[in-house]
Amino acid sequence: MKRLLIGFLTITVALAYAAHAQAQVIVIANPGVKAAEISKGDLKDIFTGAATSLPDGARVVPILLKAGTVHEEFLKAYIGKNDTTYRAGWRSLVFSGQASMPKSLDNDAAVVEFVAHNSGAIGYISSSSPHEGVKVLAVK
Amino acid sequence: MKKWTITMFVAALAAVTGAAQSLDDLNIQIHGYATQGFLYSTNNNLFTTNSSSGSPAWTEAVINITSQPYPKLRVGAQGRYELLGNIGGTTLSLDWAEADYRYNDKLGMRFGKVKTPDALFNEVQDIDPAYIWSLLPQSIYPLTSRNSFLSHYGGVAYGTLQPDKRLGKLEYRVFGGEGVDVANDPTLTLGEENSPVQLPNGWTGTLYGGTLHWVTPLKGLMVGSSDLAYQYWSSLATLNTGTTTINGSQYSWPCQYYWNYAQYEHDKVMVAGEYSRQQYAGGTTFPTDPSANSTFRVDVRAWYAMATYRLASKLIAGIYDSQSFDHQQPLQPVRYSKDWAISGRYDFNTYLYLKAEQHFVDGTALGYDANTNAGGLRTTTRLTLLKMGVNF
Repeated sequence: MKRLLIGFLTITVALAYAAHAQAQVIVIANPGVKAAEISKGDLKDIFTGAATSLPDGARVVPILLKAGTVHEEFLKAYIGKNDTTYRAGWRSLVFSGQASMPKSLDNDAAVVEFVAHNSGAIGYISSSSPHEGVKVLAVK
Repeated sequence: MKKWTITMFVAALAAVTGAAQSLDDLNIQIHGYATQGFLYSTNNNLFTTNSSSGSPAWTEAVINITSQPYPKLRVGAQGRYELLGNIGGTTLSLDWAEADYRYNDKLGMRFGKVKTPDALFNEVQDIDPAYIWSLLPQSIYPLTSRNSFLSHYGGVAYGTLQPDKRLGKLEYRVFGGEGVDVANDPTLTLGEENSPVQLPNGWTGTLYGGTLHWVTPLKGLMVGSSDLAYQYWSSLATLNTGTTTINGSQYSWPCQYYWNYAQYEHDKVMVAGEYSRQQYAGGTTFPTDPSANSTFRVDVRAWYAMATYRLASKLIAGIYDSQSFDHQQPLQPVRYSKDWAISGRYDFNTYLYLKAEQHFVDGTALGYDANTNAGGLRTTTRLTLLKMGVNF
């Protein structure tokens, strides 16, 4: 009984940690983007090159992080791929003439700076990173 | 058609560079990749290499440059160096050169020399970094004839429609233009080895077709179909009669090629299957010697089923069964090709990867040439492939 209780508590803590980790990634957009929220499906379409605009017709440009925990969490939560597979998908589009590679930036500060000053830019950062000058999109 | 599309592409390029205030405005990107492969086979030599002795004659390098000066307009070109056995290795070729205007997600157009968007993998067939396999299923993506169908001079209209969210999305591609097959294309090289008729100038022709992908409401499942109609001709066909060489021409009747396919991806798993049928017929005529005239007919039915699984963040494994039958051939090994393949890919990092693949081939319909198999072909072949690639 004691082992069962410890196992249950361990699983509960692990799930809570996973949920908390996922919640640490936020999606940001240039203030000119009118939408206040974005669906998971639309977010995935934008960041995989399947779409270039939101349902309201606003053209958006995805901005990536080069690497890191936030990048991995974003891919896991919203794209369903790891970085290797994700970038292979973009290379397919680039080398077959269907798209240009999205810009990849070094850190959250660079993403915020770019998104704030470029019309239609949409990116992702840690929720704990300063993000003045951009709007946060709720992912539904 | 070819001259018109090149002229339009150059005009678009001039308009873009003329309007730019600086290089930053042009948003220029340069990408590329290179691969080096090694083949070893039992019994037969494949793809014009001496693979039965082990052959490193499999190299390619690609350079890609694009510019997106306006949100809706992208211009770019991609060049390739390719060596496979006795094919290629001396010149650079143009993969594509296009201007792409995407009005919105429902409608976009690209024109120039463009990739032909048919079948499940045709657009990425020659993009080695895009997939796990060293060789895509040869039943539908034969390495030695892909240049003929990879691209065309003309245009593509494309877009995504979603009439009802509950039913998923429809992705469409409609294309047409002039086909491409130069004199040193592997298709011709291998075909000429097995035929007394030579086509020194290659062939040209017109093609049109469409592709429809249904991205279903079941997450990860896509079902699609493609159809291609083409007609080709060669202005010069030569035949050595033993005493002299006579000149003529070659033509095809309208040809039909269609593919039906499905792909499912979820988490670490991908499964896909595809069926195709290619039918064409034609003839070669020699005005000075009508007795030498001949006709030909091809009816190839092919399919494959494949699956991959991501074993670790950098390691993926896969397996496929690929089969092809030419129903116009006699009942001999030349009529069919059956190929089981097991494959693996390891990505050291974002830039460098290694592939290893083992094939178990039965039948001689695909990939063999007479020059490197002077002693004749055996029915079965085992093929081992190693390939290293770097991309940026």
